[in-house]
Amino acid sequence: MTGTKFHANLIVAARLALVAVVTFAVTSLSARAADSALSTLDQKCLGCHSVKGLEKKLANGETLSLHVDGAAFAKSVHNLIGCAVCHRDVTLENHPPLKTKIAGIRENSLALAKVCRSCHAAIYKQYEGSIHAVLLRGGSPSAPICTDCHRPHAVMSKAAYDAATGAPCSTCHDPIFKAYAGSVHGEAALACSSCHRAHDVNAATTGDQLKNACLGCHQDTLAAHQAWLPNAERHFDAVSCPACHSPAAKRKVDLRLYDNVAQERVAEKAGVPQFESRARSADAKGIGLDALALQSLLREFNREGVDNKTTLRGRLEVSTGEEAHQLTHKAQAIQDCATCHRRGADPFQSVTVSIVGADGRPVRYGAQQEVLNSMVSVDSVGGFYAIGGTRIGLLDMLLVLALLIGVGVPVGHLTLTWLFRRYAKRIGGREDS
Amino acid sequence: MPRIYVHPLPVRIWHWINALAVLALIVTGIQIRYVGLIDLLSFRTAVILHNWTGFVLIGNFFVWLLFYLLSDKIKVYHPELSPTKHFRESFRQLWYYGYGIFKGEPNPHHISVYHKFNAMQSMAYQVVMLLLVPLQFYTGVLLWDVKRFAGMIDMLGGVRVVDTAHVLIFIFFVGFIFIHPYLASLGHTRTAHFKAMFTGYEEVEELAGGSSAGADAAASER
Repeated sequence: MTGTKFHANLIVAARLALVAVVTFAVTSLSARAADSALSTLDQKCLGCHSVKGLEKKLANGETLSLHVDGAAFAKSVHNLIGCAVCHRDVTLENHPPLKTKIAGIRENSLALAKVCRSCHAAIYKQYEGSIHAVLLRGGSPSAPICTDCHRPHAVMSKAAYDAATGAPCSTCHDPIFKAYAGSVHGEAALACSSCHRAHDVNAATTGDQLKNACLGCHQDTLAAHQAWLPNAERHFDAVSCPACHSPAAKRKVDLRLYDNVAQERVAEKAGVPQFESRARSADAKGIGLDALALQSLLREFNREGVDNKTTLRGRLEVSTGEEAHQLTHKAQAIQDCATCHRRGADPFQSVTVSIVGADGRPVRYGAQQEVLNSMVSVDSVGGFYAIGGTRIGLLDMLLVLALLIGVGVPVGHLTLTWLFRRYAKRIGGREDS
Repeated sequence: MPRIYVHPLPVRIWHWINALAVLALIVTGIQIRYVGLIDLLSFRTAVILHNWTGFVLIGNFFVWLLFYLLSDKIKVYHPELSPTKHFRESFRQLWYYGYGIFKGEPNPHHISVYHKFNAMQSMAYQVVMLLLVPLQFYTGVLLWDVKRFAGMIDMLGGVRVVDTAHVLIFIFFVGFIFIHPYLASLGHTRTAHFKAMFTGYEEVEELAGGSSAGADAAASER
């Protein structure tokens, strides 16, 4: 019993000691951060690296800047951990690391991204699910990695985003940022990540992330639309928000291959892309899929497995990313139903068929405008229909025929009655005439 | 001229509400489908009116259905079970409209309380009231709230399939709305059947022998 009690006391004492050490460490780090003091070791590093123009020629001929702004680093959150935590391969003994040749700037950043991951594991995991990481895995030399958005020697606890310049997003997406800056959201200085998220950025036209982002802030939106818009929920499914809220945009229809069993968009299998080759072989003339070619493409996707597993679901969207960002005040949004619900309406003049590519981005193939108005497409484009705008031409002809019969039969019959009036003593005409 | 009571009040109310509602649905339907070509109403107003009128028509259909289900007048809709007799009578009726009428021949069909439709009418109204009208209601309700009925719409092949069915039936009714009143004008006077649909009484012609067609039944009505 005594031994057990002794051990228990020992554990309590050890815990107290640990708490004291951690508290001391945190307090001293905080104190250091508060007065932006640099450790002696870091000051030694900066002794050389704060010199402007310090650089290194790399194996591929690029020049790597070795300059670190000491004042910015002192203010950054990384001041808490110091130089050696990230640059652990660098020691005073082996510095400069003559043995390790740096192949290029990109290679250096990629190697250092692994260091970021060691502390920021949760965020790195989010990044790995992003379109940026997919591009990186696909070998894109311009796919953004940690250091492309974050300046590691000046990183602050607040987001890396600068509302005035749109940096770092605008570094790659400058035309979109310029379009966005004049929008209702841009004027309110909302960060890109408010809608697109910072690290788990998805391809904009796949998934419901963006629609949910809109509805996340504009919570009473559905009710507000239902007050004036018939079939509001259907519109929410089939029409993207910018299609009405970016009124100057050029709109188009994207017919998306949809898996009815899995209840999601059809995606290319990694390594075996089929969509483009199938679409090309269906589109023998190479002028865009017509109604018959579209039917044949769908048949290809339904060749195996469940009948009608793959169908098409249409969505009205804007033509470019820039247009998608030019959202206006709601008073300027399109409210005139006739914008879409009339024959020849602008949104139905441009049609694509799409699938989700292996990298998460949509892969599109052009289709002819007629696929939206052809009787042949009743089945294949069954999931998309805008009254008036995509009405079927053959039905218009049938209506004219019905009118001709409706008017012609009585007129013809009346004419015959008049011609044979001499014989027709029993027809009511005698009384009326 | 003897008169018989062939159109009871509920049937007359149903008929005229039906007539007005169908006309309103055709006008609003054309407006919805042909924005730009016809601009009587805004698209949105036309959709709202179309939806409301559609529901009125559905309610009115049940007036008709309940009346006939709860009365012995349902006999007027009983099908002729002998195909030979049915087609012979249909042909005679068609012959009358296409030829005999011009020669002043008598209408081969004689109205009575339990037999107010001729063979062609009886067939046409069975198809219209038991197939086309319910199908139009069904597709119309699905299109009224596409999201609510998304599962059923997908099962039927999608919103375009449902809409195409709705439009095909609409096209039929566009033709019907012209032919129906014209045929109704082919009574013993041009206005006889119209008057009857207001008063309930059809005037029947004297048959040889002094009695009038349907007079037995007419007596029981009065």
